[in-house]
Amino acid sequence: MEALGLNPWLFLAQLLNFGVVVGLLWYLLYKPVLKMLNSRTERIEQSLKDAEQVKLQLANAKRDYDAEIAKARQEAAKIVAQAQERAKSQESEIIAQARREADKVRDEARVSAVQERDALLREAKGKIAELVTLTASQVLASELKSRGHDKLIAESLAALDRRN
Amino acid sequence: MSLRMRILLSIVVMIVVAVISRPLMYSGDPHVEVAAEALFQITPGIPFTNSLLMMLVVDVFLIGLALLVTRKMQDVPRGLQNVMEVILEAFYNIFRNISPKFVDRAFPLVATIFLYVLVSNWSGLIPGATSIGGCVPKYPEYNNEYTTCAPGYALIPFGRPPSTDLNFTLALGLISFGFFQYWGFKTLGLSYLSKFFNLNGIMSFVGIIEFISEIMKPIALALRLFGNIFAGEVLIAIIIFLVPLIVPMPIYVFEIFIGFIQAVVFALLTMAFLSIATTSHDHDDEHHGEAKGHAH
Amino acid sequence: MEGLNLVATALAIGLAAIGPGIGIGIIVAGALQAMGRNPEMQNTLVTYMFIGIAFTEALAIFGLLISFMIAFGVIS
Repeated sequence: MEALGLNPWLFLAQLLNFGVVVGLLWYLLYKPVLKMLNSRTERIEQSLKDAEQVKLQLANAKRDYDAEIAKARQEAAKIVAQAQERAKSQESEIIAQARREADKVRDEARVSAVQERDALLREAKGKIAELVTLTASQVLASELKSRGHDKLIAESLAALDRRN
Repeated sequence: MSLRMRILLSIVVMIVVAVISRPLMYSGDPHVEVAAEALFQITPGIPFTNSLLMMLVVDVFLIGLALLVTRKMQDVPRGLQNVMEVILEAFYNIFRNISPKFVDRAFPLVATIFLYVLVSNWSGLIPGATSIGGCVPKYPEYNNEYTTCAPGYALIPFGRPPSTDLNFTLALGLISFGFFQYWGFKTLGLSYLSKFFNLNGIMSFVGIIEFISEIMKPIALALRLFGNIFAGEVLIAIIIFLVPLIVPMPIYVFEIFIGFIQAVVFALLTMAFLSIATTSHDHDDEHHGEAKGHAH
Repeated sequence: MEGLNLVATALAIGLAAIGPGIGIGIIVAGALQAMGRNPEMQNTLVTYMFIGIAFTEALAIFGLLISFMIAFGVIS
């Protein structure tokens, strides 16, 4: 190689042709390609953002869920405790009432028994008095006929008195 | 002015420009050389050719591009990273269609072939690549008064697309050939050879034909690339020699397209050959057994 | 270039272009028909169409190379 060579007209022709073609392609091809690339970038960005958001939402949902579950558990425990307490109080109340009722029944029974006994006694006393009176009248009647029975009358009356 | 008038006027202007450019920008006989020319001798007998120089430029360009793209990788790709991602992703999908099993092993080589061939195909279209050069002595009577070289000296362009050098394309073809032969052997073992050599009646003749077509594969790859790109370069040179302006423009567009297609085809064919080489071509009985094994 | 070389150059590429021209036409027609019937297969079909075109076109390229070689005196 002796020197730097150049074919100036060939070079110029190449430059012009290539330049115009590149310019045209730039104009015709650049826009759609750029649009495609931009949409791709946007899509990737969007999907990354979406993924991030989904992750966040998931974490939120998990946290909410956990909180809800804890609350529910707490509430359930409270309800159970309340129920237990109420049952206990109700139980003692029922027992007390039952006891009261039993006492009442017992008292009533006692009172009625006493009353009955009194009534029976009174009746019996009446009957006995009647019987005695009857006996006495009969005895008296016969005694009146014979004085010998004064002693018997006195004895009967004494016995009655003792019983009363 | 109506649209029709505008179109008509621009056509007239283009024709006038084309006609005027012929005497004004006449650049002498087109420089057409089938073999790459030596710029100088590295050692006597080993020339440093202009296609070798262009190849180094392509190397530097691709390595620079790779470094530039991967320097700041982002989750949300922008600019150059976006462009390269789109290209590589599209090719990955295409190659996966051809051979899903080998796409990961072959992709580095095949994608490199694509990018390398693409850049080297387009490198010849850059203005000045084939018009700036050095003057080397030719025979004394030679004179091209349109160059700046002295009489008796010929202009050897510094740049020549590597794809228009048969050495380069044949080397690439042989690399591709070695690659798919290696994987063919590796996946099928010695039974790979039974495709070519067997004593199975009519199949032995088919084997011979297969063998010849196998040998032809790298040659066809090399010649296809060389022929297409070299023809394109010659076409542009001759059209510029005939009509320097306007008329070469569609040829330029066409050559950009052809350069892309040839790069795609080289990569695709490497992948397709790999897919063919790694597929068992045994006889029907074995084939059926295989078909039973895999649910298709 | 001598007269016969000129004829050989033209014939080499001219004859070599006939077959591949028809072949590529058939390939593209078939691919387009297939795409029309089954549009979702388009990507695969385009890939294989280009592979087919490349194989067919290679023959024309061989002719072109022979033509170049005769034209530029590599063989004569």
